[in-house]
Amino acid sequence: MNALRLELRVAVAVARKDALAELRGRHATVSTLFFAAIVLLLFGFALGPDAARLAAAAPGFLWLAVVFAGILAVNRLHLLETDDDAMEQLALYPVSRRAIYAGKALGGFAVMLLIGIVVLGAVGILFAVDIASAWLPLSTAVVLGALGVAAVGTFYAGLTVRLRAREVMLPLLMLPVLAPLLLGAVKATTAAIAGDPFGELGAWLQLMAAFDLVMLVAGAATYGFLLED
Amino acid sequence: MTDAAFVISAYAVIIGGLALYSAVLWRRLSAARRDDEAR
Amino acid sequence: MRTRILGFVALGAVVAMTVVGLFVVPADLNQGDAQRIMYPHVASAWVGYLSFGVTALAGIGWLWRRDRRFDAVALAAAEIGVMFTAFAIWGGMMWGRPIWGVFWQWEDPRLVTTALLLALYVGYLLFRRLTDDPERRATRAAIVGIVAAIDIPIVHFSVEWWRGLHQTATIGSPDRVLNPSAPMQFVATLLGTLAAFTLAWAYLMIRRYQLARAEAQREESRRVERVMSARTAEPAR
Repeated sequence: MNALRLELRVAVAVARKDALAELRGRHATVSTLFFAAIVLLLFGFALGPDAARLAAAAPGFLWLAVVFAGILAVNRLHLLETDDDAMEQLALYPVSRRAIYAGKALGGFAVMLLIGIVVLGAVGILFAVDIASAWLPLSTAVVLGALGVAAVGTFYAGLTVRLRAREVMLPLLMLPVLAPLLLGAVKATTAAIAGDPFGELGAWLQLMAAFDLVMLVAGAATYGFLLED
Repeated sequence: MTDAAFVISAYAVIIGGLALYSAVLWRRLSAARRDDEAR
Repeated sequence: MRTRILGFVALGAVVAMTVVGLFVVPADLNQGDAQRIMYPHVASAWVGYLSFGVTALAGIGWLWRRDRRFDAVALAAAEIGVMFTAFAIWGGMMWGRPIWGVFWQWEDPRLVTTALLLALYVGYLLFRRLTDDPERRATRAAIVGIVAAIDIPIVHFSVEWWRGLHQTATIGSPDRVLNPSAPMQFVATLLGTLAAFTLAWAYLMIRRYQLARAEAQREESRRVERVMSARTAEPAR
């Protein structure tokens, strides 16, 4: 039991380290949020101005904005490690790789959750979608989605952080893998807003949860190899 | 385009692609083998 | 040489099944001649998925044993897999146009899943190019390959679900060929094409693997040369 508690403390410590670095002035989270907002605006421009069409497409906009912003967010979270070869030093600590991955993913989750909540609110306003009445299933979807993007994003960001052509490789690798999560999230959101007329909300949320579980396990299991080199 | 044209197009690309890949692979392998023997 | 024999057998099988698919087997009553595309299309998709599985397994092999030969297998399987997957998509589009009236159909779960498979594969191959050190490259590629392979069943499952909500029962379904109650000639042609393509895959895998090994060895000897010449150059200072 002690070993597990140690791992948990390591994970939290890693997450705190990232959080502090963020707060101390990189302002990455703020610019990422602005980016998400701009993406939403562009969606409105591209597919508007018919309100009904926009409202129908709103769940898609929501999650696309979250995913795109997520790419930027996980990228920046890992850029912290390239300074002063922090990544190598991190790898030298005699702690389990899983704990390091968990910590970084936890930090990523916190950021993604924030992004998700803000984008949800923005979508409600911009596209006249009633969020308040379905707040519980929608919050669940946001939590599960944020977790999935963080799990996958942390993994691939760690993998590409020292590569050339990083900016394009990260989304290139992440996005296809995220496709099922995106699908589940959009479907769950659509169902939730409509009041779940076909009773499919539960199934889509389960898909998201299963995805999150699988990806977290895969990420934790392979992160060790990633840090090795 | 008639149906036949799509059928031909499908087979041509697939079978032709296989042939092309095989040929390129064959050539690269021969070149590599020649280099090995030269050394 | 056994590989050469395999090559000829594969060649013969592919040519034979092409002839059968195009001229011998009768056209489908509903789909007409377009249905002939299904044979190489399904066969290509099958081989593409098979190859992808091999890439993932070879990646596991590398992480476990650190034998560079596993990485050569992974590379070969990925490259050949991309090719067959691209064939599958092309075949799907060429079939779709006469049957559905459009080149692409989002409601076809196999087509969408195969497109994502292609994206994952291409990402894998591009990713490989970014690392120069062979051992690191093998490790990183293995990880990417494994995670991508884990994703594929999830994708397939979710797209099936997606389609299930939009039931459009049409005659224009690719399932007809895969249905075991389909006419014997169709099933036989499909299985024959499947076998032929699998033989071709096996042959190409062996050759591509040999090429990868040859290139790896050449790379290795070049490194040794560079180290040697660097060492012998030092005393001159």
